[in-house]
Amino acid sequence: MRFIDSTNFERLLKKLSGEGELFVPVLDEDSQKNHFERVEAFPLPEGTNFEGFRAVETLKGFAQLVRSMVARYPTEGMDEMDVEALIPTFVIVGAKACDVRAMQLVDKVQVEGEFTDPFYKARRDKMILIASDCTEAGETCFCNLLGSNPWPENGFDLSISKVDGGYLVETGSDRGKTIVEENSELFTDLREGQEKSRDEVRMKVLAGLKATNKKYPSGEKVTEPLREALSDPLWQDEAARCLECGACTNICPTCYCFLLFDQKDESGEGFKRIMSWDSCQVTGYARMAGMGNPRPRLSDRMKHRLYHKYDYLVLSHGEIFCTGCGRCIDACSASIDMREVFSRVAK
Amino acid sequence: MNNPYYPIDTVLEDVITETPTIKTFCLKPVRPVRFKSGQFMQLTVPGVGEAPFTPSSDPNIAEKMEITILKTGKVTDALHELGPGAKLGLRGPFGKGYPLEKLEGKEVVVVGGGVGLAPMRSLLYGLFDDPSKYKRISIKFGAREPAELCFRGQYNEWVNLSENIDLTTTIDVPHPEWDGKVGLVTTLLDDLDINITDSYALSCGPEIMLKFVTLKLLEVGYKPPQIYLSMNRKMSCGMGKCGRCNVGHYYLCVDGPDMCYDKIKHVPNVFG
Ligand SMILES: Cc1cc2nc3c(=O)[nH]c(=O)nc-3n(C[C@H](O)[C@H](O)[C@H](O)COP(=O)(O)OP(=O)(O)OC[C@H]3O[C@@H](n4cnc5c(N)ncnc54)[C@H](O)[C@@H]3O)c2cc1C
Ligand code: SF4
Ligand code: FES
Repeated sequence: MRFIDSTNFERLLKKLSGEGELFVPVLDEDSQKNHFERVEAFPLPEGTNFEGFRAVETLKGFAQLVRSMVARYPTEGMDEMDVEALIPTFVIVGAKACDVRAMQLVDKVQVEGEFTDPFYKARRDKMILIASDCTEAGETCFCNLLGSNPWPENGFDLSISKVDGGYLVETGSDRGKTIVEENSELFTDLREGQEKSRDEVRMKVLAGLKATNKKYPSGEKVTEPLREALSDPLWQDEAARCLECGACTNICPTCYCFLLFDQKDESGEGFKRIMSWDSCQVTGYARMAGMGNPRPRLSDRMKHRLYHKYDYLVLSHGEIFCTGCGRCIDACSASIDMREVFSRVAK
Repeated sequence: MNNPYYPIDTVLEDVITETPTIKTFCLKPVRPVRFKSGQFMQLTVPGVGEAPFTPSSDPNIAEKMEITILKTGKVTDALHELGPGAKLGLRGPFGKGYPLEKLEGKEVVVVGGGVGLAPMRSLLYGLFDDPSKYKRISIKFGAREPAELCFRGQYNEWVNLSENIDLTTTIDVPHPEWDGKVGLVTTLLDDLDINITDSYALSCGPEIMLKFVTLKLLEVGYKPPQIYLSMNRKMSCGMGKCGRCNVGHYYLCVDGPDMCYDKIKHVPNVFG
């Protein structure tokens, strides 16, 4: 671990911005929330904030665009299409533990297995991630219930923790090590007490999370009762409030579902195949020719979302696909809180 | 680059009208596509879209492929308008295909209805490779009316291949040109002369048919592990990435589309 003072950290970012598009969290005064912003020029934008908790935006939008072209027709040249060359490097600074973890989960679907999504993989490979500790937790944060800590433990290139005058920097990949080595003049050794002061903040944030989420069941205690609750009336109850807007799936860092559709291109002769985010909460999502629909009721679809994350993906990919970031709770106009639902399930 | 969203250029060589609403499309992809019977393809009609279909042709032939398709919506309507020479695209094959190894030495009952006969034909071609590997191949086909029984011209050829192959058919309601059995395809399962404990049953057809075939099979003594169903869910990517085709925790496009009933019997709305 090394120390970097705030001025040198900005120098480091300026240097890294030469590698690709640089994004940092900027605090919005009104909402007191962080939003990722692209840095076009230095100094860093006013309000740049590597502290606090996760930004409103997830990282998934960097790896899987809301809409993108994945093929075109006529197909000449597609075989040789150099995806790497098409995709820029992103440097993302200040991503929190829950979001870094979410990308590791989505990687299991989009990269691992018999087929790889080459576009997703290229964007992930070209994502330089500088994660940072949470110095406070939001009201809806519940990463602790998923067995995680509010500081990044792996899945990053570099990770920074705020201490007096600057940051403690940990490396998490070869790329991260190279960045530190190549810029060694910007770093110094740790001073006494710096690690301890980092740990004090970490423990304080964790204690706060535990207090906020005391009354809710931990993620591992949810999967089994869910399997028993398939026909519980609680689903109709909860779904009665849902507005079917799909905000929860759009804002979720691990919701990776998409739709492919073909669009005539500008020339009118060929077409482009577009990949677009999709939401399992809308009626048409699973509807088939002949109008058959395996999840016709809203309660079926709400159930599907939670089962997919807390049961199905545990069976198919070995992990709960929720990191406790709490965005779905913030985003829900009907105030549906996953933690409350799970309290009912696991009662 | 290996881009799984990119379709292989394919030429439509011929179109065979099977029934008033079903046609077989004979395709030639620019490079051979090897598939196992029961695996499916995503077929692109340029500018219209893609839809999943299971080839109905012999899995031993990779240079050409036949797909038998019911006209039922956007992509399939557009396909039915096309003639020889049209340019299409293919992605795949996807999915696991039929568990042929499991069927060896068994009495195999194949139950198909409507356009479900199409994927069943590629299963049959797989079995016909060496019929002696199976104790029995008993084919039960049903359709609404005689004109809707796909591949009727081939039935004789099939049963003549080997002693242990038999085929019976039924239509849903009486028809002036039909002197065979009348009733839903499940009626063909009424007096089965099969040693059920030594048998597997495989079925493909509309969801409602799958449901009643399954209930019937259970009633006559099949256990859930002996029943394989070609399930249907909306699909997009075909390879477990778009999240669309769940049946319980399975992705049909990866773990199916033919699923052992034992694995999915607890899923709510399993038959849609
Ligand atoms: C594994 C598998 C194998 C199949 N094999 C055959 C076959 O051999 N012959 C045949 O006639 N039909 C088959 N089907 C059904 C066929 O895919 C649908 O009839 C077809 O998608 C309808 O497309 P459409 O555009 O005409 O209909 P629309 O209702 O206009 O559908 C629009 C789009 O939704 C999707 N979609 C709609 N219905 C389905 C569905 N049931 N399954 C998957 N995606 C759907 C497709 O992308 C389609 O283009 C199969 C389905 C699956 C899942
Ligand atoms: S869920 Fe945990 S890691 Fe994520 S922002 Fe909140 S406190 Fe930080
Ligand atoms: S079709 Fe995309 S996951 Fe099955």
